[in-house]
Amino acid sequence: MLQELYDPDRIKVPMKRTNPQKGRGVDPKFVPITWDEALDTIADKMMELRKNNESHKFMLARGRYSPTTTDIAYGTMAKVFGSPNNMSHSSICAEAEKFGPYYTEGYWGYRDYDLARTKYLVIWGCDPLSSNRMVPNTINKFGDILDRGTIAVVDPRLSAAGAKAQEWLPIKPGEDGALATAIAHVILTEGMWSKEFVGDFKDGKNLFKAGQTVDEAAFAEKHTNGLVKWWNLELKDRTPEWAEKVTLIPKDQIIRVAKGMGKAAPNVAVWLGPGPVMSPRGAYPSFAIHALNGLLGSVDNEGGTLRNSKVPKGKMPSFDAYMDAVAKEYSKKPKIDQRGRKEFPVIASGKAGSGVITNNIANAVNAADPYDIKVFISYWSNFNFSCTGADRWDKAMAKIPFFAHITTNPAEMTQFADIVLPAAHHATQKMSIIDNKGNLHAHLSIQQPVVGRLWQEKADETEIMFLIAERLKAKGFPNIYDYFTKEIKDPETGKNPATAEEFAEIVNKIYSMPAWKPKEPLKGDKLDGWDDFKKKGIYNSEPYEFRKLWGKFGKEVEKDGKKEIEGTVTKKFEFYSETLKMALQGHADKHKTTIDDVLQASGYLAKGDMAFVPHYEPPKRWGDEKEYPYTFIDYKSRLNREGRSQNCTWYQEFKKVDVGDESWDDVIKINPVDAKKLGIKTGDMVKVTSQTGSITVKAKLWEGVRPGTVAKCYGQGHWAYGRIAAKDYSKFLPRGGNNNDLMPDDYERLTGSTARNGGFTGVKIQKV
Amino acid sequence: MANKRLAMVIDLQKCVGCGACAIACKTENNTQTRARGQTFNWADYVFKTEGTFPNVKFAAIPVLCNHCDEAACVQACPEPKALYKTEEGITMYNKKYCLGQTCRKCLIDVKNKCPYSSENAEKEGVPYSVISWNQIDVKTQEVWQDKTELIKGATASPAEVAAKTGTTPANKHAYEYKDDRPPINWPKGKKVSGKGAVADVRSDNGVDKCLFCIHRIRNGEEPYCVVSCPAKARTVGDKNDPNSEVSKLIAKYKPMRLKNNKGEWLKDEEIEKSTKPNVYYIRSFKAEAKSG
Repeated sequence: MLQELYDPDRIKVPMKRTNPQKGRGVDPKFVPITWDEALDTIADKMMELRKNNESHKFMLARGRYSPTTTDIAYGTMAKVFGSPNNMSHSSICAEAEKFGPYYTEGYWGYRDYDLARTKYLVIWGCDPLSSNRMVPNTINKFGDILDRGTIAVVDPRLSAAGAKAQEWLPIKPGEDGALATAIAHVILTEGMWSKEFVGDFKDGKNLFKAGQTVDEAAFAEKHTNGLVKWWNLELKDRTPEWAEKVTLIPKDQIIRVAKGMGKAAPNVAVWLGPGPVMSPRGAYPSFAIHALNGLLGSVDNEGGTLRNSKVPKGKMPSFDAYMDAVAKEYSKKPKIDQRGRKEFPVIASGKAGSGVITNNIANAVNAADPYDIKVFISYWSNFNFSCTGADRWDKAMAKIPFFAHITTNPAEMTQFADIVLPAAHHATQKMSIIDNKGNLHAHLSIQQPVVGRLWQEKADETEIMFLIAERLKAKGFPNIYDYFTKEIKDPETGKNPATAEEFAEIVNKIYSMPAWKPKEPLKGDKLDGWDDFKKKGIYNSEPYEFRKLWGKFGKEVEKDGKKEIEGTVTKKFEFYSETLKMALQGHADKHKTTIDDVLQASGYLAKGDMAFVPHYEPPKRWGDEKEYPYTFIDYKSRLNREGRSQNCTWYQEFKKVDVGDESWDDVIKINPVDAKKLGIKTGDMVKVTSQTGSITVKAKLWEGVRPGTVAKCYGQGHWAYGRIAAKDYSKFLPRGGNNNDLMPDDYERLTGSTARNGGFTGVKIQKV
Repeated sequence: MANKRLAMVIDLQKCVGCGACAIACKTENNTQTRARGQTFNWADYVFKTEGTFPNVKFAAIPVLCNHCDEAACVQACPEPKALYKTEEGITMYNKKYCLGQTCRKCLIDVKNKCPYSSENAEKEGVPYSVISWNQIDVKTQEVWQDKTELIKGATASPAEVAAKTGTTPANKHAYEYKDDRPPINWPKGKKVSGKGAVADVRSDNGVDKCLFCIHRIRNGEEPYCVVSCPAKARTVGDKNDPNSEVSKLIAKYKPMRLKNNKGEWLKDEEIEKSTKPNVYYIRSFKAEAKSG
């Protein structure tokens, strides 16, 4: 953070492009300009859209953000202006992780795990010692879990967690659904499911025998739905012997782990990460892996998988009154990311077409389908680097006639900007409210400036949005500014903001007020006003209460006068998901077709009832095994810190803490058996080629990857960003290679997620 | 506090090799960026990978100065010694007495060089070196002297950031520690030419090593690598006090100590002839499988 803050390559002042040509490797010839000129240019470009009745061709995209401004700036700028296109980065994050929890227990969100009490922790497709949620808390508890019980890690490459765990299951990439269903098979045939949560056979005799169907009427379920259906449709044939052939994990290990989990139940946490799910057919592994928590009764239970407790958050005033006729009409245009089309159901939170498909924006822009984008503002994003199929973004960004980038560093995406605005560093130079969870508490914390600003940088989500609104008013479009200055009031003094800085502070106050000035006393921390909140920096909720959800995984609620179901349709934990059936039916109805057709269009193989139970489907792979014999594994660095640390010398110096990596370098890890066949030794430069791209990086022989797979950490390969991140900034030369230049753009279409994992990229390797 | 002897115990089962200690040390002690074969990392790592797929054993071993009882570097250091042992056992350094580049006995002395250091870590292919040295007439923190800008007038240069913050490095953590005792073995009655001091940023022509955060220890605080460890893998205390946490850990587990900067362990029979390092390692990075 310190090195990011004092990074010499930070942008000090606004700048503009003087070279009209745009492309990767084309010098934008940036020159410094004043804030005045920068804001004028942006406002003029936006006003032009309004004048020409094409305000929907405005797009605002965010990368890192604080929830503070979701409703206020990010949520209003585009809409009040008259565009449906406020686009979040979230689906390049890990939306597919939420699929399993939602369609089993009705929860769309990241989970917390009770690490202090768990006796068997299964870490599936992530390395929580390096990334994913609440890393320090996991690090803190990890050693004690190893004392108390067992940790099993399912990961095709040796991760930090895998290196420490008692069990490492180096699964063949993408075959996670087979392993999960086989574990479920063993738990059932061994009679180790949670009787308390799932229920039992009426006569107490276990009828789950491999290959044999069971009469649904013989089993009395408690808090779950459809166990026997799941068994009959899928699990009865998912023997460990079968799974060994598919996953390459020895059957003895599958049985040992499954029995270990069963024995420790319900104090078992199956930690679902992005690895098995951020892949073209990732929704069902997400479903299958999370369902194991249901089988073991560890959902909402001690030592198990939890949701977050709630933290109170303030509401922003309505902007309806500021929506003029143009805004009302054009903000209803279809969104640019093509969500909701037949092949993109994106049934986030059970509603079709409700999630963003960030990475598809490039395709939509390139095809001008549903239309073209003419003015684009984005903050703290770097899609030309962070999205798979990065070259498509190079084309798209070259095509968009006007782009303003709000960024700390001259990133890859910045190279396509017409105007660049210097962003304050998020953690040290601006105020925002963050909500998070972990260790059985939910938190509302405040990030406050700890140092002054060095240059002319400003806070992206608040101050800069205010300044643009102010400039739009000067050019004849006052609505956003009027909303900001008339509706937004300091909750203590009632004063409206007059400046960008005041606006920034007031929105943070509104958002966090229920924590420091609650209407009724809260069960968590007691805070005495805004200053006390600022001093303490955090509100901690009361600790999680276990088993409150049992029997209540769904409920009926009234929304806009209509009855709706919040959570699961059956109110139970669903192995046979009526909730999924309803969501898919909703999407199919919209397109006047069948669920089978929708799934086929989304790349899935399931037909009929199989679609509603967790089941195995073979992974989709780009490139046949003959031409592209190696399966590429992408994973996260423990030092990436959301991909903004590569210009720090400390990142480079300690790159080696990523298991198997080398400092100041970017190595692809190859099993020595494969390397021998290829005639490659450590230190050789190799060209790695997929169907859609190639990179040239250094090879490292490494026993931590399975023969037939190669692994490379994501993070390096910057051809811009700064003097440390890039090998030569002025010549656009990357340090190493970006995995996103290699991996094609593909999607998990039920959630809109960008595929990154699950062995979907085949590569060939040549020595250069 | 007679016979106090500080020691550190690192629990490898708790350690996850995350990098926090090493980066924390750089923020606390303003150590510079690797250059000329010198690592300048007072806290660093050795990584070991053994076995073949899928039976692979990987281990991270966090390393720092061992603050040895019989520190070779102190023995190698010519009188009046710049390197000396403090009364609590820290292997301390006083720039005033350091002969710098022309000497470097702590690094190169045939008989008594530090076994955990190398004159040029890069050339010798070792994972780390406890002692680094600052070349004569080369400004330390030289990266901050650089006046180049990536985008003229729009991005900064390192020198400009340093000028703006008024410190070098720009992220400098300012601290002060003055050692108010003369070096040990100082002849009685002989005038002490001046009191030693630890600079928060080292200057050229001197050696550079972990000082166990003496500026914190003497304030009753633990070294910064200890408090920054999210796994709480590091424990510091007086090993001569049988009730201290470090003594208890050393007694409870069979501890290991490093032999050199290649990550090899001292064998039992080698300890007597060793420099008697005071950083102890307990348990192993990879957990043992549970029986039954």
